[in-house]
Amino acid sequence: MIRPARPAATTGGVINDVVELRLPADSAYLAVLRTATAGLAARLDFTLDEIEDLRIAVDEACALLLADSEPGEPMVCAFTLGHDSIEVVISARTGSGRPPGAGSFAWTVLSALAGEVKATAGADHLVTITLLKQRGGT
Amino acid sequence: MSIPSDDVTPQRAATRLESKTLFVELGAQPVGSPEHQATREALVHLHLPLVEFLARRFRDRGEPLDDLVQVGTIGLIKAVDRFDVDRGVEFSTYATPTIVGEIKRHFRDKGWAVRVPRRLQELRHELATTTELLSHSLGRAPTIAEIASALDLSEEQVLEGLESANAYSTVSLDAGSDGEDGGGGSALASIGADDEALEGVEYRESLRPLLALLPARDRQILMLRFFRNMTQSQIAVEVGISQMHVSRLLTKTLEQLREQLTEEY
Repeated sequence: MIRPARPAATTGGVINDVVELRLPADSAYLAVLRTATAGLAARLDFTLDEIEDLRIAVDEACALLLADSEPGEPMVCAFTLGHDSIEVVISARTGSGRPPGAGSFAWTVLSALAGEVKATAGADHLVTITLLKQRGGT
Repeated sequence: MSIPSDDVTPQRAATRLESKTLFVELGAQPVGSPEHQATREALVHLHLPLVEFLARRFRDRGEPLDDLVQVGTIGLIKAVDRFDVDRGVEFSTYATPTIVGEIKRHFRDKGWAVRVPRRLQELRHELATTTELLSHSLGRAPTIAEIASALDLSEEQVLEGLESANAYSTVSLDAGSDGEDGGGGSALASIGADDEALEGVEYRESLRPLLALLPARDRQILMLRFFRNMTQSQIAVEVGISQMHVSRLLTKTLEQLREQLTEEY
């Protein structure tokens, strides 16, 4: 496993490596995102439970965006690796421009899996879902 | 997000009404009689667009769409034969898991499972065993590094093994839990206990019948994870299956709910 940037883990400082993926908004590419999610969470020594939870959360968030996205539009997914947390920001241009509602079942699922969830609507019908998963939290 | 609300398009309402009328007729006609046969055919014809809609979701997996529609139709016929109008759910909601189950069975029968390399099959087995042992001794789920070290493998190899376990399960579902026979009528009654947990969730009116159609174990796992906030490892112990299996079932159940909640049919 490539681990060039882990000095911060031993010094207690903050790593803020960012890994960004730009993919076509098409479910065929979700597998790539799942692999990246598991690989990055493993780098931060997340437990298997936490890795699987995050993987399912990313899946769910993307499915939400894809269900409403314009074909041919890109979906951008940025992972920010903290000392003991990982933040995943997924955005895509959608048909409705509406973020998922905080009372929906999908939201319940995302919160239970990731911990912290935010959804925002931007210009041009861009919808962004942010997941923040802490290591050692539930 | 396109979770359907209760505002139904006129066309869809007409289909629902026609479907209901036909099912009532079907129930009154003697099984095997020419008129029973004709009503059954009319019902299958009426709901063919649902099969086509569901089959298209699998078209990128290397099988001709026509074949998928054909096997999906077998699922539709089974659903027509088993459907009980008094159940209180829409036929399309009831039929979807059966049709999808039949399409997935087709992929499985095509030998997809056989093509998982033997090396990966063995690795998956070792991963499941080791994860369970480590969870027990650590009192929590292990990290990838801990599993790798216990098995004397690289972390990449462990990740690859986990990946294959997940990829494999998206097509080849575990026998008995693919929803095909999961629609027991009593499920609607037992869902009452979960109602309290569902308080505060929008769309619970459309969610409840879908949950009722899930196999009991899948529903239990879903409720424990999302409404009781138990970890996958805790659920594994509670239900008596491996953590990896819990993860696979959660992924599968969510996918299934998503398909049904966003159903445009």
